[in-house]
Amino acid sequence: MTFLNLWAAGFVALAPVIVLLYLLKLKRRSQTVSTLMFWQRVLQESRRRAFFQKLRQFLSLLLHLLIFALILGALMRPVFDRFVRKGGSTVLILDTRARMQAAESDETPRFARARAQAAGLIRQTSGARQMALISANATPVVVTPFTDDEKALRQGLDSLAPTDAGGDIEPSIELAEYLLASRKGERRIVVLTDHAPGDAGRKRPLPVTYVACGRASDNVAITRFATRPLLNSPETSEVLLEMANFGRKPAKGNVEISFDGKLLDVKPYLLGAGERRLEIFPTVPRPSAHARGWLSARLDAPDALPVDNIAYAVLSAQPPSRVLLVTKGNWFLEKLLAADQGVSSELVEPDAFNPALASKFDAVILDQFLPPGFDLASAQQNFLFIKATPFGDGQTPLDQPLISDTDAQHPVMRLVNLQNITMLRAASLALPKLAGWNWQAPIRSFDHPMMITGERLGAGASRRVAALAIDITDSDLPLRVAFPLLMSNTIHWLAGEQTAEIAGALAGATIPLEANESISTEPEFPGTPSSNEKPKAVRSGFFQPLRNGFYRINRPDGAHWLAVNTFDAAESDLRAPDSPPDESPHPSLLPLANLASWPIWQYLAIAAFALFAGEWWLFHRRRTE
Amino acid sequence: MMHNPIADRAKTAQFTGVLETTRPLLFDSTFLSKLEQLYLLSKKLFRGAHRAERRSRQIGSSLEFADYRNYTAGDDLRSIDWNIYGRLDRLFIKLFEQEQDLDISFLIDASGSMRWTPEIREPFDQPRLPKFDQARRIAASLAYIGLANLDRVNIHYFASRLEEDMGFCRGKSQFHKVLDFLREAPELEGETRLLPSLRTFAQRMKRRGLVFLLSDFFDPQGVEEGLAMLRYHQFEVHLIQILDPAEIRPGAAGDLRLIESETGTAFEITANDSLLNRYHAEIDAFLARLATFSLENGISYAQASTGVSFEDLVLRVLRDGRMIQ
Repeated sequence: MTFLNLWAAGFVALAPVIVLLYLLKLKRRSQTVSTLMFWQRVLQESRRRAFFQKLRQFLSLLLHLLIFALILGALMRPVFDRFVRKGGSTVLILDTRARMQAAESDETPRFARARAQAAGLIRQTSGARQMALISANATPVVVTPFTDDEKALRQGLDSLAPTDAGGDIEPSIELAEYLLASRKGERRIVVLTDHAPGDAGRKRPLPVTYVACGRASDNVAITRFATRPLLNSPETSEVLLEMANFGRKPAKGNVEISFDGKLLDVKPYLLGAGERRLEIFPTVPRPSAHARGWLSARLDAPDALPVDNIAYAVLSAQPPSRVLLVTKGNWFLEKLLAADQGVSSELVEPDAFNPALASKFDAVILDQFLPPGFDLASAQQNFLFIKATPFGDGQTPLDQPLISDTDAQHPVMRLVNLQNITMLRAASLALPKLAGWNWQAPIRSFDHPMMITGERLGAGASRRVAALAIDITDSDLPLRVAFPLLMSNTIHWLAGEQTAEIAGALAGATIPLEANESISTEPEFPGTPSSNEKPKAVRSGFFQPLRNGFYRINRPDGAHWLAVNTFDAAESDLRAPDSPPDESPHPSLLPLANLASWPIWQYLAIAAFALFAGEWWLFHRRRTE
Repeated sequence: MMHNPIADRAKTAQFTGVLETTRPLLFDSTFLSKLEQLYLLSKKLFRGAHRAERRSRQIGSSLEFADYRNYTAGDDLRSIDWNIYGRLDRLFIKLFEQEQDLDISFLIDASGSMRWTPEIREPFDQPRLPKFDQARRIAASLAYIGLANLDRVNIHYFASRLEEDMGFCRGKSQFHKVLDFLREAPELEGETRLLPSLRTFAQRMKRRGLVFLLSDFFDPQGVEEGLAMLRYHQFEVHLIQILDPAEIRPGAAGDLRLIESETGTAFEITANDSLLNRYHAEIDAFLARLATFSLENGISYAQASTGVSFEDLVLRVLRDGRMIQ
C-alpha cells in the first residue's frame, strides 16, 4: 500500500483534540423537578449497568476516532503497491463504431455503458498511473494523450459519441501499442467494446483486456440502397434495396421509400432468421433540376440498432447533354433529338459550322459532312460522324452490307438489336492507328467496321469519337426500334454520362476533395428544415463523414448531394460470434468488476460517511453519549 | 336540619365580596352555594364539644332514640316511657342521642415540592395552579363545608415538621379566618417528613376527629408509618394526593441536570424513551401502593391533579373518594 498524499498524515495530530473534546463535560440543560425520588430509583437500576454505560461511552469515542481515521485515510489517497511500484500506463480504447449505438434490454445504449465503465477506469488515474484515450471507429483517433489529469481524460471522454461508421478495432490496438512502445513500467491496453475481434485471444506484445459493454441481440438492417436510371426510360430510375435479418427469429415489417421527405412507396417484408433479401422499386421518377433528389428507405419495425434501419441515396438530376447537329436536313435525327429529354440540341447548316461553335457542345453530330481540313488528333470536341468520316480506307463503298458482329458489351449497343437491318450501301472504314486512343468496332460487317468508337486514354481532357459508316436514310434503320436506342446510347456516351459521379459513400470512408470543391461537415436529413446559417464546410483535402445523411458538395458546376450510409454487415450483426443471443458475450470479454473499481480513498470516504450517519443515529437514539 | 334560604343568601353574599378578591383562593357565589349542599363524611362517631348537627356517642336530647335505662331518683319525669310502664309496671327512662360537632383538621403539605411548577409545558396546555395553591383551595372548600355544618375546623401546615396551627373555629362566620390563614401560608423549607409531622399532630390533638391530609406524599421515608400511627390514635384519615400531570408523565428529553425543588440537589440524566418508560412505571407503582394501602386500612384516598378543573375536583373527585356527599 502506498499513500499518494503523505502530507495528510500530519492531521493525526488532531486525534488527541478529538479525545480532549470528548472528555469535556457535556453541558446539560437544567430543569427543576418536584422530587428526585423516582429518578434516583430509576437510575439505581442503571447504575447497576455501569459497565455497559462505560462501554457506551467507549463505543462513542471509538466511533469518532474511527471516522477520523477513515477521513485521514481518504485524504492520504492510498493505492495498492502493484499499481505504483513501477508506475503504469494504460491506453483506453473506446469503441465508437455504429454498433455501439445498439440499445440494451434496459434501453441503455451500449456506448453509454462503455463510457460509464471508462469513467470508472479513469478514476484510477494518478501521478504514477497515466492514461490515454483512443476513439475507435473507421480510423483510430487519440482523444486524450497520456496524462494523469483525470479532468482532461473525463473531458475527452465526454466529447466522444458513437459514430455511424464501421471499422475494425485492430488499427486502434496497433496505435495503442505504438503509444505504449516508449513507456516504462506496467503497460496495459483496455478495449471497451461490445464485440471483441475474432483473434482476441492471440498473443500480443502488450496485454490487451476487453471489457464487455453489451449483450448479443437481434437486428434487422438495410445493407444496400442504390439507384440507377432505367435504360429504357432515362426519366425514371430503379431502386435497389437489400435487407438482412441478423437474428434468430423471423422479422417482419414495412419498408418505406421516401423521396425528398415525401412517402413514395411502402412494401411489407418478412425475413427469416439470417435471411438477406433484395427488393427492387422499378419506377422511381428522376428528380427535376430543382429537386434535391433525396431518396431514403426506412424499416418501420424497431430493433436494437436504429441507425441501420434508415438508408439514404441520391437520385442525381442529370443536366441535359448539349448536342450540335450539323446537317443539310435529316428528319429522323432531328425528331429523335427533339424527343430525347436528356438532350438539348441545336441545328446548323454545314456552311455555318466552325470549331468555335462546336466547343460549346458536349457532342457534335456531323451528318454527311466532314469539315475541310479536319484533324482528328487536334480536334477537342466529341464527334459522331455519319457516312462522311475521317476513317475511310479509300476503297469503294460496300454494297448492301450485312451486319455480322455486334459488341453487346459496348455502351452504345445497350439493348440495341440490329438483326435483319437492311442497308443499301455503306462507306468502307478502317480502324485508325492513332496512338493513345482505344478504338473499337461495336458493329461490323465481317472485316469492315460499320461503326467505330474511339476514346482517348490517359491524362487530360477525355475525348470520344464515333463514326457510323452508313447514311441512315439509305437503310431501314430509322424504322426500327434499334435506331433511337443506338443514337441515344451513342450521343449520351459521347456526352460523357458513362463517368457518372459517385453519389454515395460509406460512413467513415475518406472522400478526397479537389481544390475548388467543398463539402458540408454536418449531414442533412429529410424532414428537417434547412437552416439559414451557412453550414460549416471542408474546402480541400480529405473529408471523413462519420454520420449518415446527405452532405452537400459544392463544385464549380453547382451543388451536389452525397448520401452516406453505414452498410456494414459487421456493424449490423449484433450476435456475438458462435454464441446465441441472451447468453454471455464473447469469452475474451471480461466483466467490469475486475477493472472499474473505485479508488480506495472513495471507499474510505463512503465508509466514513456511513459511520458518521450511524453514529448520529445512535446518538439520537441515546445509544451513545 | 332546616335552612333559612334568605339567611343563607345573605351569608353567601357577605362572603362573596371577600372571596372573590382573595387570590388564589377564588370562589364565586354559585360554587359556594354548591358547597353548602355538601357534607363531610365520617364513618366513625366522635365525641364533640358542642351541640351541633352531627351524631355523637353521647346521650343527649335529640330526636334520635338511643336506649332505655331504669329510672333513678332525680331523673326528669318527662323522660319516663309511660307506655312501657303501662305494660310492665316498671319505670324506664328513654335515652336520646346527642348531636354534636366534629373536629376537622386539614394538614397541608407546604414543602418545596408542593410549590413547584413545571418549567416545560406542552404547547396547548391550560395554565395550571401550583400544587400548593390547589391544596389550599381544596382545604378552603372543605373547610367551608365543615363550617357550614357547624363543625370545628382547624388547619395545619407541615413540611419536615408540623407548624403552628390556625386554631379551631366554628361557624360560617369564621370562614374569614380560614381564608386569611390559607392566604398567609408560611414558606417552609426542607423535605417532606410525614411521620414526625403526624406524630406531633396526634400528640397535639386532645379530641379525635376527621383529618384531611393534603400532600403529594413525596416522602422518601415513606408515608405508611405515619398514616398507621394516625389510625392507631383513632383519627379518621382522608388522603388527598395533589399532583401535577408533568410529575406523572414528564416530557423531559435530552441531557438534563435535574434540580430538586426541596433540597436543591442536582441529578444528571439522559432522558430517552427507555428511561421515561421506567420512570412512568416507578411513579405508577408508587401511586398504586398508596391507593392499595389506603384501601386496606380504611383510609379514603383521592388523587387531585392540577390538570383537573377545581370545581370538577371538589364536586366529583372528592365525592367519588367518599370524602363528601
